[in-house]
Amino acid sequence: MHCASHPDSVADRFFALLGGCRLLLGAGTLLALVGSTLAQPTEARNPLANDPAAVREGASLFRANCSPCHGLNARGGGRGPDLTSGLWSHGGSDAAIFHSITEGVPGTEMPANVFEDSETWTLVAYLRSVSMKQPAPLNGDRAAGERYFWGKGACGQCHMVKGRGGPLGPDLTRVGAARSVEYLVESIRTPSKELSQGMSDPNNHYGIPLEYETVTAVTRGGERVVGIAKNEDAFSLQLLGQDDELHLFLKKDLREVIHERRSLMPAYPEQTLGKQGLADLLAYLTSLRGETE
Amino acid sequence: MNTEAIVRLARCAVAILATASLPVHSQVTYERIRNAAHEPANWLTYSGDYKSWRYSLLDQINRTNASGLAAQWVFQSASLGQFETTPLEIDGILYGTGQDNRAFAIDARTGRAIWRYQRHLPDKVEPCCGMVNRGFAALGDRLFMATLDAHVIALDRKTGNVIWDVEAADYRQAYVFTVAPLLVKDKIIVGVAGGEYGVRGFIDAYDTATGKRVWRFYTVPGPGEPGHETWAGDSWKTGGAPAWITGSFDPELNLIYWPTGNPAPSDYGRERRGDNLYSNSMLALDADTGKLKWYFQYTPHDLHDYDATQVPVLLDAVWQGQQRKLLLHANRNGFLYVLDRGTGQFLAATPFAHVTWAKEIGGDGRPVVNPGNEPTPEGTRTCPGALGATNWFSPSYDPRTGLLYVASSEECDLFTGAPQKFHEGHDFIGSIYVPASGEKAWGALRALDPLSGKKVWEFKYNSPPWGGVLSTAGDVVFAGDSEGNFIAFDARTGRDLWHIQLGAAIYSSPITYSLDGRQYVAIPAGGALFAFALPLALAK
Repeated sequence: MHCASHPDSVADRFFALLGGCRLLLGAGTLLALVGSTLAQPTEARNPLANDPAAVREGASLFRANCSPCHGLNARGGGRGPDLTSGLWSHGGSDAAIFHSITEGVPGTEMPANVFEDSETWTLVAYLRSVSMKQPAPLNGDRAAGERYFWGKGACGQCHMVKGRGGPLGPDLTRVGAARSVEYLVESIRTPSKELSQGMSDPNNHYGIPLEYETVTAVTRGGERVVGIAKNEDAFSLQLLGQDDELHLFLKKDLREVIHERRSLMPAYPEQTLGKQGLADLLAYLTSLRGETE
Repeated sequence: MNTEAIVRLARCAVAILATASLPVHSQVTYERIRNAAHEPANWLTYSGDYKSWRYSLLDQINRTNASGLAAQWVFQSASLGQFETTPLEIDGILYGTGQDNRAFAIDARTGRAIWRYQRHLPDKVEPCCGMVNRGFAALGDRLFMATLDAHVIALDRKTGNVIWDVEAADYRQAYVFTVAPLLVKDKIIVGVAGGEYGVRGFIDAYDTATGKRVWRFYTVPGPGEPGHETWAGDSWKTGGAPAWITGSFDPELNLIYWPTGNPAPSDYGRERRGDNLYSNSMLALDADTGKLKWYFQYTPHDLHDYDATQVPVLLDAVWQGQQRKLLLHANRNGFLYVLDRGTGQFLAATPFAHVTWAKEIGGDGRPVVNPGNEPTPEGTRTCPGALGATNWFSPSYDPRTGLLYVASSEECDLFTGAPQKFHEGHDFIGSIYVPASGEKAWGALRALDPLSGKKVWEFKYNSPPWGGVLSTAGDVVFAGDSEGNFIAFDARTGRDLWHIQLGAAIYSSPITYSLDGRQYVAIPAGGALFAFALPLALAK
């Protein structure tokens, strides 16, 4: 079991090419290998904390091994959460971060990794150097944000939270745990700046994930259906339309398929959503952490 | 003679009688492989023949009837992922390798397994890009496989039993094999992988009878050897230049043409100043001695992982009024090269994909590099991306259309380079690259005039392909895309005649063979090998 069989093809694409396959060793192989890390005292402190050389080495390791999912600068990618927000969903102590790296996070896409302990500590040192010491204080009113999300803002027309809402945009049930405030602000103000990632094919080792990109299918009869491509190949298109319906096309029946490098989501500039409104919305979004009630 | 022996003899006789009605199981000889192009019923060597055309004289499947192709059987290898094998087809039996160093022999008519082999691999093997293997070489009653733990083994064709097993290098230092060996006379040739781990690349020849190594050519010259001066300091020791794709062979010149991969670390070059010979090169080696006859380096001092590990296509053609022995190479760096394969002389290079790293290839064969493409800590956008304008999957040359078919990618990457300390057995890249943001990567099957590089047609794929090409005398070209479509194209126009969705990205190049008067086409995808043919009524 090695990277070839790891389900995370985005990560594979890079890890594999970068030689970071060891990151993707299957659990079976790993159990024995992580034995030594299990012996880490639960409250171990990073022996390399604040060591500039360790931070540099950690940055290099991070780029090669972690950035495919967590983004080049640890600000989150299509699959891995932002690691700079100062919010640690699975424990923020040195020992807890060490544990998440070496053993993965069950129930998520975070795999276990085989690093030497010293390497893992350089990663912890690097993450400390880029993460906020304290999560940004939010002075918004969560309840007001929630009202805006489901009401005037119409966010819920396209986004779901725990099954409520529309299907077109990314599910936001865990967005507060997965994305930094900075990222959320960018997505609200300028949603087309960086398109969110959709499905990636586990059978395509080097595959590039689909994106939340505006796609228009023009039929031979001239009908235009605008939506998000759930999937596409040379012969067919599976489109989730703005009507929230799936439209399954054969390309031979289409006159044209138009890809626009922009999000279907409207931007919310300050004229639409003022500073306080944004703070309220952020207070609501950051509270969405996927917990069961 | 005791009773038991008599029974055994009798059984033997029955077995002989029973097989008498079937084609006699014949041996694979060097002469057969040398003439493989004229024996299209079988697929005897990785690229179909020594010229590596991946072209078959079979023409039962043609432009008119290809739309009737139908699945005949599916064989499950029992390992998922990148199924990169090119199976050999020898007298009714398919021999293939799978992921995790599995291997199998199957009845090519029914898809039923005859034997299965799986190598017991150590926990720590370090292939950069998946637990893959690209196939067997065959000679006599033996099959030869190069393994992920850097051994070369010979298996018995009827049983899969191991005949010999030799260690070529230490897998703990990240030496691995993924290549399909090339049988040349009485030797098998293999090249090592590990360019992402700072290995010192080599190409080996082994005696097929004993497994004894006959010669080794290091692709990074050691002290005192010509080319050593192209590496600053001790950087040659971790120089990479792996050789992980099967080369071609010219029996008349007795030269093996074997390409090499990137220098290490691939995307950071400050500590390996110089051209870094023989990385990213075509090597012409004497088949008997392994001595270097000539080399041609495509991408000197590479910083973008532009391995030259693409299959060289040998073509005899008129070049500027003169009959020449040529070598064609659609290179990962985005240029299609024409070389004289007797001398290595550079004749021409034309881009076949979008290229930003170089303005052109100069008259001396050296690239005219565009400034500002060196990877930086912040990242530099360069095209092609690290996965290249094409990659290891095979091109195909069709002598009827005179076209070279190349599966091509259009992707630019953001390359970030940084120094990295070498740890034996660990990745040694000096970088990461990510697709340039805001751009959609895509791919195409391109039909090129091989000498002018002119594009005659292309069929667009939704994303960069990882499947190679087969051309046939039926004017049908076969290839697969990364969305899992296996497609039959009109060789002259690129029109899709037929396709089928196989459910997993295609990471191999198709083959064709003929049995009982029917032409089959086989392609691996996911964990399965699929065989297609025309329905009996159409095939007649």
